[in-house]
Amino acid sequence: MPLFAEAAGAGTTGTSLDQAMVLALLALPLIGFALTALVGRRLGARSPIVPVALMIVTWVIAMVLVYQTLIAGAFGEAGLHFDLYRWIPAGDFQVEVNFGVDALTAVMLIVVTTVGMLVHVYSIGYMAHDPGRWRFFAYLNFFMFSMLLLVLADNFLLLFAAWELVGLSSYLLIGFWYRRRSAALAAKKAFIVNRVGDLGFGLGIMAIWTTVGTLNYTDVFQLLPEALASGAIEPWMMIGICLLLFAGAVGKSAQFPLHVWLPDAMEGPTPVSALIHAATMVNAGVYLVARANPLFAQAPEALVVVAAVGIFTCLMAATIALTQTDIKRVLAYSTLSQLGYMFAALGVGAFIPAIFHLVTHGFFKGLLFLGSGSVIHAVHEEQDMDRMGGLRRKIRITHITMLVGALAIAGIPPLAGFWSKDELLAESFKFGFPWVWAIGVGVSLLTAFYMFRLMGKTFYGPSHIDPHAEPRIHESPPSMTGPLILLAIPSAFVGLLLGFPPESGPIHDILDPVFHGAEETLALPHEPYTLFGLDGILLGVSVAVAVIGMLAAWRLFGFFGIAPRPKTVRALTERLRLPYRISRDKWYFDELNDLLFVRLGGLVARGLWWFDVHVIDGAVNGVAAATQSSGRGLRHIQTGRVQNYALGIAGGLLLMAIGYLVAR
Amino acid sequence: MTQSLDAYLILSGLLFTIGTFGFLAKRNAIAMLMSIELMLNAVNLAIVAFGAFVPGLAAQGALIALFVMAVAAAEATVGLAIVIAIYRNRRTPLVDEYASMRE
Repeated sequence: MPLFAEAAGAGTTGTSLDQAMVLALLALPLIGFALTALVGRRLGARSPIVPVALMIVTWVIAMVLVYQTLIAGAFGEAGLHFDLYRWIPAGDFQVEVNFGVDALTAVMLIVVTTVGMLVHVYSIGYMAHDPGRWRFFAYLNFFMFSMLLLVLADNFLLLFAAWELVGLSSYLLIGFWYRRRSAALAAKKAFIVNRVGDLGFGLGIMAIWTTVGTLNYTDVFQLLPEALASGAIEPWMMIGICLLLFAGAVGKSAQFPLHVWLPDAMEGPTPVSALIHAATMVNAGVYLVARANPLFAQAPEALVVVAAVGIFTCLMAATIALTQTDIKRVLAYSTLSQLGYMFAALGVGAFIPAIFHLVTHGFFKGLLFLGSGSVIHAVHEEQDMDRMGGLRRKIRITHITMLVGALAIAGIPPLAGFWSKDELLAESFKFGFPWVWAIGVGVSLLTAFYMFRLMGKTFYGPSHIDPHAEPRIHESPPSMTGPLILLAIPSAFVGLLLGFPPESGPIHDILDPVFHGAEETLALPHEPYTLFGLDGILLGVSVAVAVIGMLAAWRLFGFFGIAPRPKTVRALTERLRLPYRISRDKWYFDELNDLLFVRLGGLVARGLWWFDVHVIDGAVNGVAAATQSSGRGLRHIQTGRVQNYALGIAGGLLLMAIGYLVAR
Repeated sequence: MTQSLDAYLILSGLLFTIGTFGFLAKRNAIAMLMSIELMLNAVNLAIVAFGAFVPGLAAQGALIALFVMAVAAAEATVGLAIVIAIYRNRRTPLVDEYASMRE
């Protein structure tokens, strides 16, 4: 290894070319960011060229690495690991900058770089008229650097640094249109809510270090379970560490109760919503839990919490998505809901289906968001679905690609979502969590319904578009429709490709080395797949439920030949007024937070402020005032006349003499 | 009477009281310095008297008196120099006018 010979540690694998590719994955977006940030403003309309070109190169390199890892098997089961340099040498606390590429990283690389690259291309068209375009592309490249660092990092501290960097890019991009007050507020909200989870994550990392004295994944995943087995740490400490790590995941992946930032994050430009808030960054929490699977496997109690939080978020977000009228908000809640599925799957021990769903979701949700961006672009920045309708014939490519996405997310076979969702639901049933399965199946009804409500309101039925804008509706430029088509292909086929045959598809072969140990520890049942048995029934139920949801939505909101029935919809909302209100007002979570943290927290803060002003400041000011007034009082005896002083001296002398005489 | 220590001490006390009164009552800086000299000499008289009448203090009394004279000379020099310097600035020898540091 001539390139990094001096830093090459004992655990180093892979050739220097492989290592150089890993570093290039990080360096290229960083260079793109630096160049665009420095000179992008002067390039004007040409500013996207460099960042987009670099992203395409990054994508190619990532694909070569993925090929090396998954297909050529160049790094073996353990994957590629190498140290770049010693980052923090502080006594016992030694942290390297080291990178690792194993099967899980490779799968993440596929999603991150593919969606990232397509979103870059798409943004050329979407941001064509924005004067701040160069800033946008600089941030996008910066995000890609951070996200790649997040998946390539081989220790918890570097992961944490990347975790914060993606948070920063998310903040910058949500607040991209910073002149708009709502965007600035949403960016702030995302940042602050994430801090809550990151506090837990940070504490978890500290707890890991104090127990095993290292932060490298490989060492931690070996030493912590050993420490638990030998009795060096108590089981509750293991559960504590897992729950603290999970707190970070809850923040980043917007799970209940820290989910409130994600819907507001839709204030950012739509490509950002697609890339960061649907396909990549919000998956970081899922990635974290999946990465730490050897730890979670030792703490089944923590896994139950993960499952419960996941499935609750899944249900809650799906019910909210039913009634939102902002097209991007529906998709945002849908993202929450799908992330909830992934966490539920991780919680029941179905790690591989969770990552499988992450991949398929990354593609079809990226597609749906980019499609919604194309719709918004077509109807001149209108996001309210009540003012859309009948767009089917006007923006054909967008319509067809979004239809693919909607079918995929609804879980209609043979599209991608069906394979991953069915698998994770079936496994949760078989691993002894029927309640997760039951709620999950219920949510898949809601998912199909709200997705086709979105489709119906947008593409079918009569037009409710502003008549002035109507004639100017146009399909988006090829730079936008191209990525849509390119994303529609994996949305349709990636499930079949990776997930067939069910529960033993290629995705299982790929990810088995990563999760094998955890599955053994949890002693999960491994029965052969029975199409004409339990599995067939589970599959039949979930497909039937999805189809029912879809048909109901067709009937109410229209489909190709089916006319929408707004009167029935209105009557239904009248009859179900209370549930409708709860759903429309997002379960009053913003109000609850307002009450708890803004009002009650404000009251407490005001009390403390009073204490500070009156007691603490009072004491300090009191001392100062006493000094001042005594000084003012004593000033009167300082007359400046020599005789007065002399009189004092003489008087004092006299007193002393008298005192002496009397005392004697 | 000439053989009595009391007579010397009474004279010394009278001179010191006159000096003190002069220092307190006079406004003129020069007169105040003169009063100080009077007080110093009253003290000197008392010391010399002690030296003459108390056998154990014969040597010390004279010595201390010489010291006091030397210090008084130095004091008078510095004191007069200060008074002259202030007078040049203020054009007045009256000490109650020298109150510019009061506020």
